[in-house]
Amino acid sequence: MDSDLELVRRCLKGDDGAWAILLQTHTRKIYNLCYRFTGRTAESEDLTQEVFIKIFQTLKTFDVGQGTFATWLNRVARNHLVDHYRRTKKDRLTASLDDEESGVLEEKPSAEAAPSVHVETRELKELLQRGLDKLSPDLREAVVLRDLQDLDYAEVAQVLGVPEGTVKSRINRGRLELARVLKRMEQVRGPAKAAGSEA
Amino acid sequence: MTHLELENHASDYLEGQLEAVQRVAVEAHLRDCGACRELVGGLRRVMELCRAAENLEPAPWLVPKILRATVGERKPTFRERVSAFFRPTAQPRLAYAVAMAIFSLSVIINAAGLNLRNVTVADLNPRNWFYQANRSGHLLYARAEKFYYDLRVVYEIESRFRQLRSEPSEPKQEAPRQEPAPAGSTERDHPAGTQLASVEGLMSAATSLSAASKMASQRSNTQ
Repeated sequence: MDSDLELVRRCLKGDDGAWAILLQTHTRKIYNLCYRFTGRTAESEDLTQEVFIKIFQTLKTFDVGQGTFATWLNRVARNHLVDHYRRTKKDRLTASLDDEESGVLEEKPSAEAAPSVHVETRELKELLQRGLDKLSPDLREAVVLRDLQDLDYAEVAQVLGVPEGTVKSRINRGRLELARVLKRMEQVRGPAKAAGSEA
Repeated sequence: MTHLELENHASDYLEGQLEAVQRVAVEAHLRDCGACRELVGGLRRVMELCRAAENLEPAPWLVPKILRATVGERKPTFRERVSAFFRPTAQPRLAYAVAMAIFSLSVIINAAGLNLRNVTVADLNPRNWFYQANRSGHLLYARAEKFYYDLRVVYEIESRFRQLRSEPSEPKQEAPRQEPAPAGSTERDHPAGTQLASVEGLMSAATSLSAASKMASQRSNTQ
């Protein structure tokens, strides 16, 4: 976006107000990207902050010829998320083993008091997030960027730094995998829910 | 078309990016294969779920926190600091307080008889202030008293009171019988009449006395 470029130019001249506008414009998207990768609010907030600190420090290196500011921002965020994923792989393995042992996927606040429709929507969202958590990072990032961040294939390819064909393949595989995971989760949840309602 | 080929083209099919020939082949396969129909149905559901997933709102403190972490706390300008200093004073109660202070001060200065255009050293002596204030107070009191007694309504009320005091409060039947008045006097029933009669008596006595003294002086002249 032209306005983004103008804001970046002003930022580079030391205009703090322009930086504040850039932040307000893009924080929501980056926060959502982080949340779709981690599934945890606090972690997403920390990651969003880290991404923007990185952006602020490397703003000089932004090259207009390599794409829009939003694409560059997504690329930096994605690289940071991949690094974070690698850093925390060990912790996550332990956590997922604990979850499997206890038979709980993830602790979420109870929604018993909410109306049934609201609960259903909320459950579906939670299901989607937990399904995304089960995907491999390559597939997850492709699906998140395409289906949740609404980027087109070319933009996803730019962010991920891979050819468009690879992106298409990853997105297709990611969706199929997500569909299988969701089905499995619903099958597990179905009898448990029925047992709960009988009790 | 095989199952694997359909699996590879499933997303393109759902996004309408397949060529016509491929699309027809996929649809033909789906008509005959329940497992692939289920697969495509699952894929469609995932895409719908993702589309329906609304964007989450970050916490309101996140942007300010990032701003602090990047550009730091912005240093306020001189103007902002001055306005921040005076901000608590920009309230109506301060204006009331100032107005009352000015009013009280003007009253005190007036009472002390100070002329602000020509202040002398003596004007700064508290004893003079007290003297002037005392004098002004007395003058003010005297003026107020005069004004009060000069009021017509006050005058009328006071004269009415005097009249009431001079009139008897008891009816005439209960009053004791008076001795008959001296000759020439008109007997009255009430004490006012009695008083009038006594005054007339005194006057007649005075007249007779003066007549007697005149006669005595004429006699001495003739002798």
